[in-house]
Amino acid sequence: MTEEEMIVCRCEEVSYEELLQTATKYNCSPRELKLRTRAGMGYCGGRTCRGMVDTVASTIKAQERTQISLKYQPPIRPITFGDLGRQDK
Amino acid sequence: MNDVIIVGAGPAGLSAGITCAKKGLGVLIIDEYMKPGGRLLGQLYEEPNGSWWNGIQESTSLYEHAVDLGIQFQLNTPVNNIEKLDQSWVIYTDKHTFNTDHLLLATGAAESPVPVPGWTLPGVMSVGAAQVMTNVHRVKPGERGVIIGVNVLSAAIAMELQLAGIDVACLTLPKLNKITKNAAQPKDVLESLLHVSHMAPSPLIRFGSKLMKNDFMKKMGVTFYPKEGVKMWDIPIQLRKAVINIYGDGEVEGITSATIDANGEVVSGSEENIACDFVCIAGGLYPLTELAAVAGCPFYLIDELGGYVPLHNERMETTLDGLYVAGNITGIEGAKVAIAQGVTAGLSIAENAGISGLDVDIQHSIQSIELTRDKAYIQFHPEVKKGKRILKEQWKEYERSVKKLVH
Amino acid sequence: MSRRILEHPVLGNLQDNKYISFTFNNKNYEGLESESIAAALLANGIRTLRYHEESGSPRGIYCNIGHCFECRVTVNGTQGVRACLTPLQAGMVIESGGKLPTPVRDWSAENE
Repeated sequence: MTEEEMIVCRCEEVSYEELLQTATKYNCSPRELKLRTRAGMGYCGGRTCRGMVDTVASTIKAQERTQISLKYQPPIRPITFGDLGRQDK
Repeated sequence: MNDVIIVGAGPAGLSAGITCAKKGLGVLIIDEYMKPGGRLLGQLYEEPNGSWWNGIQESTSLYEHAVDLGIQFQLNTPVNNIEKLDQSWVIYTDKHTFNTDHLLLATGAAESPVPVPGWTLPGVMSVGAAQVMTNVHRVKPGERGVIIGVNVLSAAIAMELQLAGIDVACLTLPKLNKITKNAAQPKDVLESLLHVSHMAPSPLIRFGSKLMKNDFMKKMGVTFYPKEGVKMWDIPIQLRKAVINIYGDGEVEGITSATIDANGEVVSGSEENIACDFVCIAGGLYPLTELAAVAGCPFYLIDELGGYVPLHNERMETTLDGLYVAGNITGIEGAKVAIAQGVTAGLSIAENAGISGLDVDIQHSIQSIELTRDKAYIQFHPEVKKGKRILKEQWKEYERSVKKLVH
Repeated sequence: MSRRILEHPVLGNLQDNKYISFTFNNKNYEGLESESIAAALLANGIRTLRYHEESGSPRGIYCNIGHCFECRVTVNGTQGVRACLTPLQAGMVIESGGKLPTPVRDWSAENE
């Protein structure tokens, strides 16, 4: 496997090349990079790749210090629709 | 309703729970893992005085103490959300919903990987995964492994693997790219390694001949790092080679490594294959802050602490009423610091819960965190104290901005 | 079961010895009661726990403490169970997930 094909986001199988090209083409913030490529939007919630996505985006613009660049959304662990329904009652 | 709920049964959570329970508070500790102890479980190293820091024993004694004090545990229970409703914190898990006025987040750290082509193959795992498999589950991650990423954590775990009879072919660097950056620069890695050189000699004393040569330090100083690496505990540490690929049909069969120059650039034509049946990725740790984030804590990115840290004061209080933090969520440090932070968090909670006369104890416990930090045998980041200073400034900055808003 | 570390110079000898049976992808195996499913499978030489839903690439444990969800398997009919932090029980029926018949990306390209 080449470096270009190298996976960065394991859940969504987003490659190094795709991230770099997208970041350069659209001058992406980490959030925009995530939304365009789906890196960090998979099953694990970005726990594994968030730092790498931040790093790729930081080649365009320095990482923001006062705010988490890639927002966390609840639920932070996957839950079934059944359990979600139960909680809303 | 519990007086106190703690998310995370690691060293910080357990010690905070014990502190609260001793003050008469009812404590519930929730953790998604099957055993109490968190990352402490896997730790095993020899201290300067020759005794062993055995994470399983330490975890067991903390846990037993907690149970004796009547602390309740919900293990195997992932927390998926927290929120404040009607002045109290609501903690959502997949089976139950809990309420409390005092919620401590002691969620620890997650590993940050260095990406390598082929790293999704079965047999490639984080270095912490190999540690847990070996020391906690007592199953070999494989017969022969390569560790990619040379740092304090990977050096310590390499020794643990070796201790369990697992062959570590080498510790080596990832290939330089826009993500691996400093972790792939021989000079930067060498510099950071000097901070762990004190860990090298002690296993020699107990395990004798086969392990370790005392020339480690000497060789570290040389300008021209030997191509085949310097051996620590008989494991080659290669700073002039980088892994360019992990290969295998369906699972790991080996890695392709290449010689790199002093700037981390690959020397073409130098590629060679090293056979192994497992690979560890070691990119370091970052504070696992997701629950603090969904709760609405303000953060600051402090590289010296490993990443974004929720703003908190010396008493381990966050900016949100009734929400506390302790352990690696406040920055990457060793278990002993986490235990000391847990005591402070526990005392703060007890005082806020209406127990008076704790001021002196709290001040002492804060000093104790500092002392523990100064004495730490393993320092994950050499500049951790600078990181804590930055945090303090940010906390003050936050307080000033809140005052302005109020007036 | 040579993959188990039965003796250890500091941690001592492995005390657990209650072996129980379970199945993984319809084959019978033995593991220690209450160890993690991932440990039991690895002790049996099994590294591949699932196949990626879209590409079908094989996956095994990665973080081993519940963060990465790479080791998710189906246990007694419940999907998405993390093998690394689920205690093994006698008679468990464990199955690995596979590539989905209609890749999500292809579907969205045609339908959005």
